[in-house]
Amino acid sequence: MSTILEFCNVGFARRERSIFSDLSFSVEHGEMVALMGPNGVGKTTLLNLASGLLCPSSGEILVQGRAVRAWGRRQLSCCVALVPQHLEVPFAFRVEEIVAQGRTPHLSFFGGISSRDSEIIENAMEAVDILKMRNRIFSELSGGERQRVKIAIGLAQQPKLMLLDEPTQHLDLGRQIELMDLLRRLNERGITIMAAVHDLALVRESFSKAILLTPDAPAMTGAAKELLQADLLERAFSVERAGLDRYLSIDPMPIDQAASSVIPELDIIDDSEGSQRKKSGWQEYREKPWRPGEQLTERNCRRYPQNLRGAHHRDKD
Amino acid sequence: METTVTARPRPNTLFILIVPAILLVLAIIVSAGMGAVRLPFGEVVRALLHPAEAGDTGTILFGLRLPRVLAAGLAGAGLSATGVLFQGLFRNPLADPFVLGASGGAALGGAIAVFLLPTLTFAGVGAVELLAFAGSLLAMAIVWNVARASGHFTIENMLLAGFAIGTMLNAATAALGLRQEATNPGMRILAAWLHGEVTVPSWSQIAFIAICEVAALIFALPLARQLNTLALSEEYASQLGVRVERLQILVVITGSILTALAVSLGGLIGFVGLLVPHFLRLILGPDHFRLLPAAALGGAVFLIVADTIARTAFAPSEIPVGMLTAFLGGPAFLYLLNRRQRSSSH
Repeated sequence: MSTILEFCNVGFARRERSIFSDLSFSVEHGEMVALMGPNGVGKTTLLNLASGLLCPSSGEILVQGRAVRAWGRRQLSCCVALVPQHLEVPFAFRVEEIVAQGRTPHLSFFGGISSRDSEIIENAMEAVDILKMRNRIFSELSGGERQRVKIAIGLAQQPKLMLLDEPTQHLDLGRQIELMDLLRRLNERGITIMAAVHDLALVRESFSKAILLTPDAPAMTGAAKELLQADLLERAFSVERAGLDRYLSIDPMPIDQAASSVIPELDIIDDSEGSQRKKSGWQEYREKPWRPGEQLTERNCRRYPQNLRGAHHRDKD
Repeated sequence: METTVTARPRPNTLFILIVPAILLVLAIIVSAGMGAVRLPFGEVVRALLHPAEAGDTGTILFGLRLPRVLAAGLAGAGLSATGVLFQGLFRNPLADPFVLGASGGAALGGAIAVFLLPTLTFAGVGAVELLAFAGSLLAMAIVWNVARASGHFTIENMLLAGFAIGTMLNAATAALGLRQEATNPGMRILAAWLHGEVTVPSWSQIAFIAICEVAALIFALPLARQLNTLALSEEYASQLGVRVERLQILVVITGSILTALAVSLGGLIGFVGLLVPHFLRLILGPDHFRLLPAAALGGAVFLIVADTIARTAFAPSEIPVGMLTAFLGGPAFLYLLNRRQRSSSH
């Protein structure tokens, strides 16, 4: 494995307010990295720096071993794709027209879309399963659909590294699971993924590695599970220990036969939304074995089945 | 429950150029036949094909009608194409050279040339067009900077800045006329510009403006493609390898050239750049690359028709075509503004 992205003692200040000083970490080819940290710690800034939209005030950012400032803008766009948090498009652009914009860095000033470009656009839409909505107007899509279109733009760039800014924000649980499945599939196809994520359960389930940004402290890098420790989270998110413990110790219900009585109801809910596809994600989610002895820190997730189960009980009481 | 809002299939590229081109030729011929002396369609075509044998018809046609019709066409094409460019630039369907004050700047520049430097030419290029370009560029530069003062621009900032600049420049243009003798031939040009009246230009002026306009439009085509990327947002476009600042400057310059050329022929004709692109967007979709040539042709057709109505409907008197476009464009502008406010409120 070789390093695709490396931050060496990076400092960044905006309007004389220092956001990072001396930030160092590296991401290897083929990894799937979660970027964690409290609001305002600079996750978006970090992604903007990595994609070359911002320049560091000090230190060096290397993409494939080469300083970002030494890359041409278009060259870098062909290697690193940033999927932003928000995308608002004026005018009634259709989904396929939006996805086609991902080819921009590959086109010359006077060149148009070639048949090869069209093929790549087609593949990008297929990979995120939006072929059916290709003729719909982008600004009329739901949050989950938009998210997939944004990822398709990124795929059309044919990047080696894809950076995503809170891709699961505002998505319901089903869409979150689908999205994480999608990111894992892309990762298996060889695209290195780095995503800012708030949901610690998703971090634990899907990411091999995590970077934890703590205000006024060095960033920590490690296996996702290692970083999901109560004392680290307490410091990073400046939350009271009691509150954190309460959050982490939401009684994790083992998913056993008792819980499976809930599942048929869930299937009905799924059917009403007319989608069977998300079941695979579900199955994987609930079939993951849980051992009662497992540490809370590793189990700090608010898994839907447990919560639902809890709600289920309360309803009956 | 899923509501599938699928856009209608969009007409293919050849179609979007051929249809307006045919309409344009028809509009030119029919419009050239209309007026105090009515010339039948066949006679106009015959005179166009054999200009030497046209006789009296030829005198009316080549001396009066055709220059006016072509001037209206060129002005309409320039304003409408500028509308597409500025709407892409501001990512907003309300942007229009008149609304943004670019037309006002061009009129002031042109008026300065008419009154203060009447004999000046630069390498055969009229001082009027050059100063009109300078005025339009200056107005756009001010509006651009004021509208973006807060870092990102809003519709309110854009419209208010355009309104303030436009009003100021138009007042300055009118003030220029106050100190002139009533017999000064420039006074007639000034009045025509302020009302938005298409003048009858000389053939050399038409040729010069046509060549400049076609060149500017060809140059604008690759810019229009990049405006599609800019629609995603400045940051996104820059992330996708577009040099956003260079694109914005080039669009402002190209739009100012087109505005200056249009204004030197027809003065302050409002809302053409708003009406025509909006109508075409409904048929062709928002792709600026397809929209730009279609809007140029469509704008030409639109203003030829409007100008024909303006000079014949109330015969023997004429009304300025700018008045007509204001009555059509004003409501369209309010409709777009209202729809926009509503969609942004939820």
